[in-house]
Amino acid sequence: MSMTADVLRAFAFAVLQAAALLALAPLLKTAIKKMKARLQNRQGPPLLQGYYDLAKLLRKEPVRSETASWVFVAGPRVYFAAAVAATTLVPVLVAAAPLEMAGGILLLVGTLALGRFALATAALDTGSAFGGMGASRDMTIAALAEPALLLGLFTSALAAGSLNLGGLVRNMLQHGVTFHPSDLLAFAGLFMIVIAETGRIPVDNPATHLELTMIHEAMVLEYAGPDLALVEWASALKELLYLTLLVDLFMPVGIATTAAPAAIVVALLAWIGKVLVLAMAVTITESTNAKLRLFRVPELVSISLGLAFLALAIRFL
Amino acid sequence: MLWLASVGVPAAIAIRLATVVATIVLARRATACRLVALGGSILASAVTVSTAIHALVAGGPLDGVLLRHAASGFALSYSVTPLSAWFLMVFGLIAVPVAVYSVGYFAHSIPPSRIAVVGSSFNVVLGAVEVVFVAGDVMTFLFAWELMTLATAALVATEHEERASRQAAYLYLVMSHVGTGCLLAGFLTLAAASGSLTLSSLLGGNLVSGATRDAVFALFFLGFGVKAGIIPFHVWLPEAHPAAPSSISALMSAVLITAGIYGLIKVCAFGLGIPAVGWSLTFMGLGTLSAILGVLYALTESDLKRLLAYSTIENVGIVVLGLGTGMLALAYGRNGLATVAIAASLAHVLNHAVFKSLLFLGAGSVAMQTGTRRLEQFGGLLRRMPWTGLFFLVGAMAIAGLPLLNGFVSEWLLFQALLVGFSATPGLIRLNYPLCAALLALTSALAAACFVRAFGISFLALPRSIAAAEAHEAPRSMLAPQAVLAALCLGLGVFPGAVLLALRGVLASLPGLEPSAALAWGPAGMTSPVRSFDHVVPAMFGVALLGAVVAAAVLAARPGWAIRRVPTWGCGGELSARTEYTATAFSKPLMMIFSAVYRPTRQVEAIAEVSPYFPHEVRYRSEIEPTFERYVYGPLLRAVLHVANGMKVLQAGSLHAYLAYVLVLGVLLLLWLGGTT
Repeated sequence: MSMTADVLRAFAFAVLQAAALLALAPLLKTAIKKMKARLQNRQGPPLLQGYYDLAKLLRKEPVRSETASWVFVAGPRVYFAAAVAATTLVPVLVAAAPLEMAGGILLLVGTLALGRFALATAALDTGSAFGGMGASRDMTIAALAEPALLLGLFTSALAAGSLNLGGLVRNMLQHGVTFHPSDLLAFAGLFMIVIAETGRIPVDNPATHLELTMIHEAMVLEYAGPDLALVEWASALKELLYLTLLVDLFMPVGIATTAAPAAIVVALLAWIGKVLVLAMAVTITESTNAKLRLFRVPELVSISLGLAFLALAIRFL
Repeated sequence: MLWLASVGVPAAIAIRLATVVATIVLARRATACRLVALGGSILASAVTVSTAIHALVAGGPLDGVLLRHAASGFALSYSVTPLSAWFLMVFGLIAVPVAVYSVGYFAHSIPPSRIAVVGSSFNVVLGAVEVVFVAGDVMTFLFAWELMTLATAALVATEHEERASRQAAYLYLVMSHVGTGCLLAGFLTLAAASGSLTLSSLLGGNLVSGATRDAVFALFFLGFGVKAGIIPFHVWLPEAHPAAPSSISALMSAVLITAGIYGLIKVCAFGLGIPAVGWSLTFMGLGTLSAILGVLYALTESDLKRLLAYSTIENVGIVVLGLGTGMLALAYGRNGLATVAIAASLAHVLNHAVFKSLLFLGAGSVAMQTGTRRLEQFGGLLRRMPWTGLFFLVGAMAIAGLPLLNGFVSEWLLFQALLVGFSATPGLIRLNYPLCAALLALTSALAAACFVRAFGISFLALPRSIAAAEAHEAPRSMLAPQAVLAALCLGLGVFPGAVLLALRGVLASLPGLEPSAALAWGPAGMTSPVRSFDHVVPAMFGVALLGAVVAAAVLAARPGWAIRRVPTWGCGGELSARTEYTATAFSKPLMMIFSAVYRPTRQVEAIAEVSPYFPHEVRYRSEIEPTFERYVYGPLLRAVLHVANGMKVLQAGSLHAYLAYVLVLGVLLLLWLGGTT
């Protein structure tokens, strides 16, 4: 009986955390835009612009291509669901992931791959050349990024002795968070992958609709209205998720180990602060780099892979 | 049930023999012949599956004799060990749906005049594979192995008017026989050391040692490696698998390949004593190489069946990588770790068989409806063949290793083995594990790209040819087996613990493994050998994912609004199949990035009448370099031909010379034998 109660409690926690992250994700996206604008001496959009955009898109008339099948409809829904479900595997405020009973890092990476698979497949459904181009490029970059991402995650997991994010964070806190030079390398490697996976400059430009340079935007070019809202929202959520993951792996200090309200408040403030710092790092990267040619991206990814290997070697040899 | 199990193997063989005879008798009556051939094979496969499941549950070998010649004492014996039972079960699970599918498929795709040959070869292949898995002695094993090769070659050459089919069959025969020769040499060496011919006494692991042991290992590795399709012994596979009729291709990719893997496990990993470190590294290295090159070649392939054949090489690579990991763990005495790695391999054998046969059956339906196998000629098939498309999508997602489907399960286990291996292995050699893990991650991500392409280009958007526009859904008898296999993909993905529980007896029977390192976590979950390290319960996550899909659908639903359907913007021109992204274009970025592997060449020729700026025709030709064919097999072939040419001197065509050879040989033999006594 207590097993059932545990599972129910886990699901309630999962829903709560996913909803909270969903609610905050558009804010992060706008905050990065805003910071970027400030660096360019512009005002930038109001902080709530992300919500306005989503609200507008969700109210619009659904328009779909004549040539598209059910796959086109399923794409954004699965993509959105994968991002939401992925949040349940990541600890945010408490040193436990809501559904950590269900799985760890491998399931998380697999789930994000599922979302990408769905969206890339759907992009091929309208018969537009843009969809195919975007899908091809997105899958290419994802394929190159995957080994570096997993290797970076493995380095942290092996150091902490768990591949389950909840257990990983708890182990780190238990052993006392110590700095090891390899952390720096692993962090740098993973940060580059996060940039690639979230479609940021220098890999992809989220603000462009120039046909030759688009990657993610080309893939979702044929979406409009509520379908597009789902894609945009899920992308924002994915970005928040990746930043939270970096926070969990490299700076878990401050995360609550008990459910005491005071601890939660501290954890909340700490989490917001750390995510903002990372968001600033993303902004600075975006503002000080030019977009790379598609065929230069492999070099970036190999650097990241090399860093992860080096981290592993330094740590364990 | 017990009586059935005890006669299960002979009964299945007898049914197959009777079916072959009946098929040949009924050769003139195509329909009856087809139904008898496939009905008999379904019955025999069902008997096999029940025997296998019984043996898995009961554990322990089930021995018997198939045939005995009392006067000479010659006997063909069988022995159903738990390992054989696992492979038999995989075999039966695939053979039944494939045979059901073939009822409709053969009617359409095999000319009536050939149905008897195809039907009887089909049964001979199935029977031979069965005997390979249960063979109790070397004679039985090699006899069945050879029969399997010959009957498969006959099936590959079904369309023997086509030069490509003949060449594929010939290549298959030559390479298989080189492999069989190696096996024969290996078995003879062992038999000379032991004086017995039963497999259990030959494979006790203590017969040979030192350099002889390494040589025997190399012989068996080559012999079984050819059949399994490990790179660099793979060149026959992408030719032979697609050349056969599609349901046979499914059988070859899902089941025949496993005969090679069965040999690798039974002999190389567990039959020659504790594996040497070098052997294990060979397995890991060539496994990873096969995985990565297999998927890379699949990615640029535009023939759907060849694409699937290359992807088979990839999956064999994953299985072999798991075996190598297990062997390395055994070499270092980490038996708990070895158990995980071998479990991952055996689970992947099952998973690959299920999704690859599903994909081949889908490809067969598509090829049957459109009359071509080229991706660039498909397009828009999901509307015309909705069920085939759905099942193909399930297979594509499973092979891409996405969660909730079965491909994820075995890759998850293999990652666990690699990571735990890293923690448990001493010295520099441990860096081998993260390297393999990174390449495995690359393989599975490339497989996702490959199958987005294979499904998306074939089934979505506008038809790219008239044939694709006029395709129809395959008959129900061909859809039902695919539905079963798709359901299996999902079932095995959601209940991974059940598979591991079934594997427990198999693992317990292999020397050195410790099935007590519990991997199953109830029927629905799996854990790492170190339980706190990792675990997964896909079903629980599935509930969350399903809930999120429903939430997304509700969020984006606009009740009361009709969905406006508009044409896709054709960039100012008219939207047609010519404006769609092609399969070649889809894989182009990866082809450029991995150009060191592909070494692509391309020719663009613009034919213009007035000015080169206004060409009225552009010819484009692009191909990738067949590295192994050109740089490994080319020189080898030339060397063999050269030697053969030189030996023509001996074959002078003169009877006197031949008589002289016989005389010289006789005298030499007499001298030699006289010297020894």
